[in-house]
Amino acid sequence: MFKREMKINLKGFLIWTTILVGLFFLILVIYPNVIAGESAEMMDEMLKMFPEDLLKAFNMDISSINTAFGWLKSEGFVMILLIIGCYAGVLGSNILLKEESDKTIEYLNSLPVSRTKIVTSKVFAGLIYIVLMVVLLGIFNFIGLSITEEFDEKLLILLSITPLLPAVVIYFMCMFLSTFTHKTKKTLGISLGIVMLSYVLQVLSTMGEKLEFLKYTSAFTLADIRNVMTEACINPVMIVVTVTISLILFIVTLFRYDRKELV
Amino acid sequence: MKNVILEIKGLTKYYGKILGVEDLSLSLNEGEVFGFIGPNGAGKSTTIRSIMHLINKTAGIVLVNGKEFNRNDTSIKEMIGYLPSEVNLYEDLTVKQMLDYHESFYNKDIHKRRCELVERLKLDETKKVEDLSLGNSKKLGIVLAFMHEPKLLILDEPTSGLDPIMQQEFYKLLVEEKKKGTTIFYSTHILSEISKICDRVGIIKNGKLLKVEKIGELLKKNLDLVTIESKEVAAILSELKVETIEKEKNTVKFKNVLPANELIKVISKYDIDDILIEEASLEDIFLHYYE
Repeated sequence: MFKREMKINLKGFLIWTTILVGLFFLILVIYPNVIAGESAEMMDEMLKMFPEDLLKAFNMDISSINTAFGWLKSEGFVMILLIIGCYAGVLGSNILLKEESDKTIEYLNSLPVSRTKIVTSKVFAGLIYIVLMVVLLGIFNFIGLSITEEFDEKLLILLSITPLLPAVVIYFMCMFLSTFTHKTKKTLGISLGIVMLSYVLQVLSTMGEKLEFLKYTSAFTLADIRNVMTEACINPVMIVVTVTISLILFIVTLFRYDRKELV
Repeated sequence: MKNVILEIKGLTKYYGKILGVEDLSLSLNEGEVFGFIGPNGAGKSTTIRSIMHLINKTAGIVLVNGKEFNRNDTSIKEMIGYLPSEVNLYEDLTVKQMLDYHESFYNKDIHKRRCELVERLKLDETKKVEDLSLGNSKKLGIVLAFMHEPKLLILDEPTSGLDPIMQQEFYKLLVEEKKKGTTIFYSTHILSEISKICDRVGIIKNGKLLKVEKIGELLKKNLDLVTIESKEVAAILSELKVETIEKEKNTVKFKNVLPANELIKVISKYDIDDILIEEASLEDIFLHYYE
């Protein structure tokens, strides 16, 4: 069953990964030309005119975008967080629900297999693809930057890992929500909405002390890119929080799915 | 005494306030073919889906081979072959891949039986599931339900979509399964199928099980249709106190529920021009319960 899950989710994984890698390939090819000569200095000058809170939201206050790695540290990783977050959300909301939506659940349920095993096989297949996407993009960026410029290798590796934390939480959250319905159509919009809302809340939380509490409501806080850039390490608290929330969501998903009416 | 393979006790299912099935109890012995009949919406599929744990029961329990069937009990699931009324399978796979996938879930060698069934039902293993016609999908569903040689077969409208030749082959297959001792729960609304293959029949109406009867008993015990032509029709009817089906001038057709000798005693007192006594068909019996 696990092998079948890997097979049916391969196509979606390849499409999302190709889009993501293709996008970063273009950026790595074009960006050195964009920042060549005086344009890099002009961009830095222009950014100085931006409000501090806005620069902080994109980590531009502690990073210059006059190199490809600099761009990656600021806007690049925001893009990665969002795209991998969307992939995790869509995958999480579909992976269990597809059998019900396609009505194949009636067959699957008749097989000598427990519901716990059904959920576990699907959950691990999805998790592998999320990890694989993060790893492949990290390797691609590492190779791409190695060809074009010098950069802090350790920092890139750490930054490449960070999208995994919010993505896993989003994945489990959307999977849990999918146990309340039978149709994938209903959950797709909700999943993408969760990702976008989560991101907006995270950006708002960086804009002043009054809104700082919003960071506790956003999965993207777990990426903590700013801390990785300043401290050159991933905050272990974020890892513990990610694992704890994911485990809780996994357990409640198992609980709900076990009692769910499948048709 | 034969083993009870499937036992349903007090099965009740409400969809919110709407009744699906209420207090349904029945049991099936080993090697028995049990026909479960009722019109659309009577509660047949609700019963089957409750047995298979596709929906949650409001009340009641289901025992298979004397053991309560819980939704995660894989040892009981191994004993069951299930054919839903609509067969929905993985469209990205070929028939061969689908059968291989099915095989991978069973801890015994079921390949030989699979090959026999594929050959017998003339199923093309190279075709993709998405390209199968309704009839061929049904045939694949039959192979999947039968190939692991289950002790209990739960079949929901199994012949819908099959051509007449394949239907006959399917009936033969059922007879063979019955001889092997397989218990079969056969849900249908095609009455001719019931009289062909079932030992007992359960009639369900508005979510309630009206009657469980041996098929032979059902056909002979209660219902004969009697047509009498006489000038004294009114007096005969008054004495017999029977349910009239048709009445036209001096001719009346009614359902007789009296023993034959009692009926003859009564009508012999009157002047009869013509009489016809015929055995009610299964359709007549079925309608009798649904009126």
